[in-house]
Amino acid sequence: MNQPASPAVTASAFETLADSLSACADELHLRIMKAIRRNPPGGPAREPQTDPTTQAALTGLPQPDPAQAAPLSSPPNGNLELGISHGAAQALFENEVALRQRANSLYVDAALLAASGLRVPERTLLDLVAVARRRIRNAGMLKDLIGITADMLGLAAALAAGKPEHLPGVVESIKDRYARLKEDRAG
Amino acid sequence: MKLPRLPASALAAPLAALAAVLALGGCAGNPRLHEAREFAAESAKLGGFADLTQRFRDTYQREQPYLSPAADQRERAEDARRRAAYPDLMAIHEAVLLYMQTLGKLAGGDTFDLKEPLKAMGAGIKAWPDTGLTDRHVNAYSGLAQLLARSVTSPYQERAVQAMVRDGDQQLQALLEAMQNLLRYYDKSSDNERDIVLGMLEVEIAYADTPRDRLLAALAKSHRLAKRNEYRLIGLRHTLAAKHVAAIAAAHAVLVQHMAQDGKPDATGGQAGQQARAALRASAAAVADESSIAAAAAAASQ
Repeated sequence: MNQPASPAVTASAFETLADSLSACADELHLRIMKAIRRNPPGGPAREPQTDPTTQAALTGLPQPDPAQAAPLSSPPNGNLELGISHGAAQALFENEVALRQRANSLYVDAALLAASGLRVPERTLLDLVAVARRRIRNAGMLKDLIGITADMLGLAAALAAGKPEHLPGVVESIKDRYARLKEDRAG
Repeated sequence: MKLPRLPASALAAPLAALAAVLALGGCAGNPRLHEAREFAAESAKLGGFADLTQRFRDTYQREQPYLSPAADQRERAEDARRRAAYPDLMAIHEAVLLYMQTLGKLAGGDTFDLKEPLKAMGAGIKAWPDTGLTDRHVNAYSGLAQLLARSVTSPYQERAVQAMVRDGDQQLQALLEAMQNLLRYYDKSSDNERDIVLGMLEVEIAYADTPRDRLLAALAKSHRLAKRNEYRLIGLRHTLAAKHVAAIAAAHAVLVQHMAQDGKPDATGGQAGQQARAALRASAAAVADESSIAAAAAAASQ
C-alpha cells in the first residue's frame, strides 16, 4: 500500500482507500467502547481474557497487519457482550491506531502525488510573475526619469533666476536619482 | 553631465506638443484595475494554508505522547515522509502567493502613477518666481503632463494586468485545486490524529475511573475536553480555508472575464462578478477573524 505511486494510481484512489480504512477504524472504536460500557460498574471484567494480542500490545511487539483486524464482526473471544479487560481493550485500540496510521500514510501519498503533478503550472506562474515584476520595475524607472527631468527644470529655473547658491542641493538630488536608476537596471 | 542652459521662454514650448498628444484621448479612473487590486488583496492570505500545512507536517509531535511503542515506531516513518513533503507543499503556496502579491502591485494605485514626480516637476519651476513663468504656465504644464502620463501608462498597465490574469488563469486554477485537495487530506489526516488522541484517552479513562484513580480520571477528562475543542477548531479552519481557496478560484475566473471585456461597460456577468467578489470578501473575513472561528466552533459544539 505504501509503494511509490505509479502514474496509473491517482491521488483520489489513495484517498478512497484511506477513507475506507478510517471508516473501518471508526467501526472498531465503536465496538471497543461498546464492550467497555458492558463492563460491570466499579471496574473491568475480572478475568483477563485469553486474548493473545493482549500480551503483544503490552510488550510492544509488532502489531498484526491491519488487514487482519478487518473481520471484527466476530471478535476473537465472542464474549465482548460481557465486557472487556483493560489489556484486551488496549490491544484492540492498538489495531484501531494501526488502521488510522495506515490511512494517514495514504493521505501523505495522495498529498505527494498532488504536489508532484504541479511542477509545470508552478513554473509557468512564476514566469508570469517575473514578467510582471519587470514591468513594475520599468514603471519605477519611468518615474525616476520624470523626477530627473523635474530636477533639471529646477536647475534651469535656478539658473534663470540667478540663484546659483541653490544649485548644489539640486545637483545632489539628480545624482541620487541616477544612482537609483542604475540599481534598478542592474536588478 | 551637461546642464541645459534653458531660457524661461523655452519651458513654454512643450505645452503645444503636449496639448496635441492629449487630443488622442485620456483615460479616466479604472474600475478593472481596482477590481484586480481588490482581488489580490483579498486572496493574499490564502486562508491560512501555510499554517495548516505546517500543522500537517508536525502531526507526529502532537500524537507522540499518546502512542504505544509499536505505534510510535510506525509513526516515525510517516513523520519523515511528511517532513520531506513539506517543502513541495509549501512551494505551491509560495507560487500562488507571489502571483497574488505581484498582481496587486502590477494593478497597484501608485506603481504606474506619475502624479507625484510630475507634481515635483511643477513645484520645481514654481520655486523660482523670477524666471518669467507665471503660475498659469506652470499649472498648465504640469497638468497637461499628468494627463499625458495617465493616458500613456494606464492602458499599458491595464494590458499588463489583463495579460497576467489571462495567461495565469489555467495554471493558477490547477494550483488552487491542488490546494483544496491538500486541505482535504490535511483535514482527514487530522481527523485520524484526533481519533488516535481522543480514542486513547477515552479507552484509558474508562479503566481509570475508580476511586483510587480519581485524580487521574479528573485530569484526563479535563484534558480530553481541551483536546476535543482544539480539534474541532482545527476542523473548522480546514473547512474555512478550503472555502476561501474555492472563492479565490471563482473570483479569478470572473476577473479574467472582466479584464477581457476591453473598454466595454460591465454589461455581462456583472451580477456573477459581484457575487464572486462578495463571496471572496466574506471568506477572507471569516478566515482572518480568529474570534469568529472560535465562536462558530462553540456554536457547532452545542
